[in-house]
Parts: sequence; C-alpha cells; structure tokens
Amino acid sequence: MDARPLTILVADDNQSDRMILCAIVKKMGHKVCEAADGNEAVDQYLQQKPDIILLDVIMPNLNGQQAAKAIKTLAGEDMVPIIFLTSLQEASDLAACLESGGDDFISKPYNKIILQAKINAFERMLKMHNTLQDQRDVIRENNDHMRHEQQVAKAVYDNVAHSGCLDLPNIKHMLSPFSIFNGDVLLAARKPSGSIHILLGDFTGHGLPAAIGAMPLAEIFYGMTAKGFLMEDILREINLKLKKILPVGYFCCTCMASLSFRRHELEVWMGGLPDFGLYRQETGDVERVKSSHLPLGVLSTQAFDTQTQTFDFVPGDKFYMWSDGIIESRNAQSELFGEERLFSVFNHYDSDEYFDKILSEVNQFVGESGRDDDTTLLELSMVDESVIGKVDIDLSSGAITGPANWNMTYTLRDDTLRTFNPLPVMLNILNDVPAMRNISGQLYTLMAELFSNAFEHGVLGLSSDLKQTADGFAEYYRLRSKALEGLNNAFVKFEFDLSPTYSGGRLTILVEDSGKGFDYTNINTQSDQNFAYSGRGIPLIYSLCDSLTYLDKGNKVKVCLSWQTQSEE
Amino acid sequence: MSCLNMAQIQELKEVMEEGFGDLVMTYLQDSEAKLKALKKAINSKDALQISELSHSLKGSSANICAENLSALFKKVEDFGRAEELNQVPYVFEQIQDEFQAVKAELQQLK
Repeated sequence: MDARPLTILVADDNQSDRMILCAIVKKMGHKVCEAADGNEAVDQYLQQKPDIILLDVIMPNLNGQQAAKAIKTLAGEDMVPIIFLTSLQEASDLAACLESGGDDFISKPYNKIILQAKINAFERMLKMHNTLQDQRDVIRENNDHMRHEQQVAKAVYDNVAHSGCLDLPNIKHMLSPFSIFNGDVLLAARKPSGSIHILLGDFTGHGLPAAIGAMPLAEIFYGMTAKGFLMEDILREINLKLKKILPVGYFCCTCMASLSFRRHELEVWMGGLPDFGLYRQETGDVERVKSSHLPLGVLSTQAFDTQTQTFDFVPGDKFYMWSDGIIESRNAQSELFGEERLFSVFNHYDSDEYFDKILSEVNQFVGESGRDDDTTLLELSMVDESVIGKVDIDLSSGAITGPANWNMTYTLRDDTLRTFNPLPVMLNILNDVPAMRNISGQLYTLMAELFSNAFEHGVLGLSSDLKQTADGFAEYYRLRSKALEGLNNAFVKFEFDLSPTYSGGRLTILVEDSGKGFDYTNINTQSDQNFAYSGRGIPLIYSLCDSLTYLDKGNKVKVCLSWQTQSEE
Repeated sequence: MSCLNMAQIQELKEVMEEGFGDLVMTYLQDSEAKLKALKKAINSKDALQISELSHSLKGSSANICAENLSALFKKVEDFGRAEELNQVPYVFEQIQDEFQAVKAELQQLK
C-alpha cells in the first residue's frame, strides 16, 4: 500500500473494544487517535483531521449517528469515510447508520481481516477522491483564468465585431450568444456615398474559435467600406483572408448586402445561409432570397464568384437576415423551429411586428429547454436617406498633421479602365490630408462623379440621356459593354495638386480623358447654378467645390477645393 | 469444555501481542464495574439501563471471544428492550456463573 500512513480515529465507549481496534489499526501501520464518546469523537476530528473514522453507534453523550452527522457537516467537500462499529442486528438499525452519514459498518466481534480489507478499500477511495479534488481545483482555477481572459478578449472583440452603424433607425437587430463569444458576426457601415453595407456571418462552431475569425473579417469590412470599395472587392478580400487563416473545415456562412438610397436597390451576396425574407410593401408578399454561393473561406480567389443578386428596394420594403441558430432552435421535444414556422410568421402579422414576432415565437418555441447555438436576427428597412442622416465616416488616424504640399498624377489605361475601380486608392491618398477627412463623404461623391464623367461620357462616349427610359437603360449598357471591348489607347488621367495657402490649403484636381470632348461653352460661364446640362452631374460637382472649369475641347476638367485650417480647440 | 472460542483467542493474541494481558485486565475491570451497575438496574427494574449495559457487555464479551457470555447478555438486552423483566434475574445468575468461568480462563491465558 501507500507509504503514507493514515490517521484513523477509533471512537468507542468500551475501553477493551477500543484496545482491540487500536491494535488492529496499528498493526496495519496507521496512526491512531481515540475517543470515548460522541463529543470526544467530534473534538478529535477537528484536532487530528483523521482520514478514516471507526465510530461506535451506541455511546454516551453524543451517540454515533449524531456524531457522524456533525462530522460530515464539518468535513464539507472533504471525504471522511465513517465505518460504524455495531453489534446491532436489525436491518433497519444498520440502514439508519448509513443514512446518518456512515459509509459502511462492521459487526462485533471484530474480524481483523474484514476490518483491514475495509480500511484498505476506503484508503483507495480516499486517494481517488483526493486526486479528483486536486484535478477539479486545477480545472476550476484554469477555468476561472480562462473566463477572465475571455471577458477581456470579449471587450476587445465587441469593439471590433459588433460596432459600426447597427444603431441606425432603419436597422433592428438581435444577437444572442450561446457562450461568452458569439460565433455570429453582424456588421453594418456607411459607404462614403451614403449607402449601407451590412454583413451577417455565421462561423463554424461557436465560442472563441468561431469568434477569432470575425476579427480580420470585421477589420476588412469596415476598412474597405469606409474607403469606398465595392461589395465584390470586400467579399473577395475577406474570402482570401479567411481561406488563408481558417483551418480546413472551418468557414463563414455569409450574407453581405448593400443598400443604395439613391438607386433604391438592394444588392445581395449570399453563401451557405438559409433562405432570407424580402418583404415588399406594395404587394405585402415576402420573397425568399436564396444562397447561391459557398461560404467565405472555402474557395480560392480564382474560383471565388462575386456575382450578386439585385432587388428593387423602395421605402417600406424590408430585408430579413438570420443565422441558422433561429431555424435550428429546439424545443423540449428536440423538434426544430424550422423554416416553415419562420416564414409563416410573415403570413400572420403586420409587417411592423415581424421582427418582434419572430423573436417571441422562437422564444416561446424554445421555452425552458435553452439555446444551443448562437442566434442572430436583423431587419433592414428602406427609408428615405434623410431619416438616417448624412454619412459620418470615421477615418481617425494617429497622425495629426499630414502631407500638405504635393503633386501626383495617376493614369489609368485600357485594361485597368475595364476592370479596376480606382476610387478607393485615390481616396486613400487624399484622406491622408487631415482637412480631407472631414469631407470624405463629399470627396467620394466628387471623385466618383469626375471619374464617371471622364470614363463613361468621355472615353466611352455614352450619353446619359439614354438612361431616362427603361429601354434606354438597357441600350446604354449594351453600348457600354461594346465600347469597353473596343478600348484602344484609352486613358483617364488624374492630376492632384495640393498646396498650402496662407490660412489653410488648396486641392486642385485635373482630370483628362482620351475622349473627343464636348461643347462646354454654356457651362463655363457659371453665371448661376442653374445648369441645364444634367447629363454630367455637373450641378452636383459644382456644389461640392469652389470652382469647376472645362478646358481644351472639353476632355479636361479642373476642380478646385480650398479650406481654412481650423484652430485647435 | 472451554467457554472461549479458542481459534479466535489465538488470533486476538496475535493482534494484541504483549498488549493481550492489558486487554484482559481492562476487560475484566470494565465488565465487573458494569455487572455491578447492571445488578443495580435489575433491582430497580430500570429497563433502559438494563438494555444499554447489557448491549455494551454483549459487544465487549464477543470481542474477547466469550461467545456464550455474549449470547446471555443479548438475552438480557432483548428483555430490557421489550420491558419484560421477569426472566432477567434468572438469566443474570447464569451470567454471573459464566463470567466467573470466562475470568478464570482468561487469567490463565495471559
């Protein structure tokens, strides 16, 4: 047996019995302490902390059963086996001994072999118990440590993954994590143009492993959205990143949507998620929007497809997104909530109630049985842009001062013009200028209009008059793709010139294209802002800058913006 | 015939080693004191005292390998529990005889 001797308490009011027991126990190599009644037994327990107690049932003062109860209470989580010593014969008496907290009993006259076997058995049990307790303590300590770390990490995580503009008045959302971390990601951000990007991601699994992938995803989403990248660029970037960092078999089921206030459109990319619902106010119907892609993080960049679905989205229309945790919620009978129940909510209530009713029906269904997955629900409504206000892009950077005196030209040629969106790159550079950050929304609009004028109207020679009828719209795009194919020695050249002035700074942008130009004589007069020439978005540009001048044959335009440096507060 | 279980006694001696003499002395002193108390209880017809004392003596006598004596104490204990004390003085006489015999044998052994 173990080298460490046990301490064994022998409590018996009969001195000769005690002597025999002590002799047997000592022969086994254990230490003995003695008690002559129940009170002494409790005292000895407190002083000697014996490992095993041999306890006579019938003793003066406190009897054996009372002493056993007292000792078991004092012992708490520690295991103290109590073996009752008894010459009682009735089964009910023996049962009462075990009920009062005894672990075993041995009858008089004592049989040395049986007593020794019992002590050995309890010694093994004690060792096992102590090992378990030690391991439990280690586990508890580790668990506390881990929980603490997770809480700290969660604070960081929430700042990254659940921020953005989810609090806009046209967005309702609910995130209900199954553990500390939510494996569902819900992101929303305004583009410089004012459009809203929304992303719902459901990572494989839940908890920390699922949450970790959300960090780079959120960084890319916010960073690229703020810089004006298109949805397809952002998706491609996120897919590439997740493919690189996630282990095989881990991915992110994703829906990304872009809501355009100007075009009254909702553009959706969905991969690996259940059907979503698109409510049409006009008809009162709810259309199903289906996933047409694999989740993010599965395919290589070459195989990745950014094809989106575009829907008309007029004020009053609503788009519902959810993670599969909603559909896979289980009730006490382990039945799934299911798509059918979910979509039937739309048939039974008013559109104003959909969001709350979906939540309450799921909660009612799950009842007491508790969740076993992260659940996320979001409602995105189309409203007039004035309801949610102007875009306020946070491009805060560590640097207080930026480059103040520079010149740059950036020329885009055939292939690049066909496939590449140069706006984010240019805006990134312009946003390094502190004064530009305050007007980055306008700057985006300005650059987008200048580029589109130079490329669509200048290089491709398309007339925006076509876009005024539905047929013309289709014709416009037909001509556009034809013109794109025929590009030869085409270019759009941007020249930026930033220089300081006495009280602030001035940015001059010169845009030149390879097109044949147009007659701008009516425009350069600038007598008033009542421009009739709507085709080139010129009133919009003019409203954003100090001056706008067409040069040469109309294939060059010069725009000036100047500002006063604000004094530090 | 011996009034002790000799096989058990042999085992007990092995366990107790040189403590065996002390054990016998302690048992005899303790039992004599308890027998006196038991006699008093019988005279005053205190059924509870009778059963408790004979319970204790039953156990210690069993441990010292005096099987017959232990069985007699059990009889008295049962009578005390049932509060039927008529037979008790008669059994107590048998106990006194048996105890003397046990005492004599134990003293020879130590």
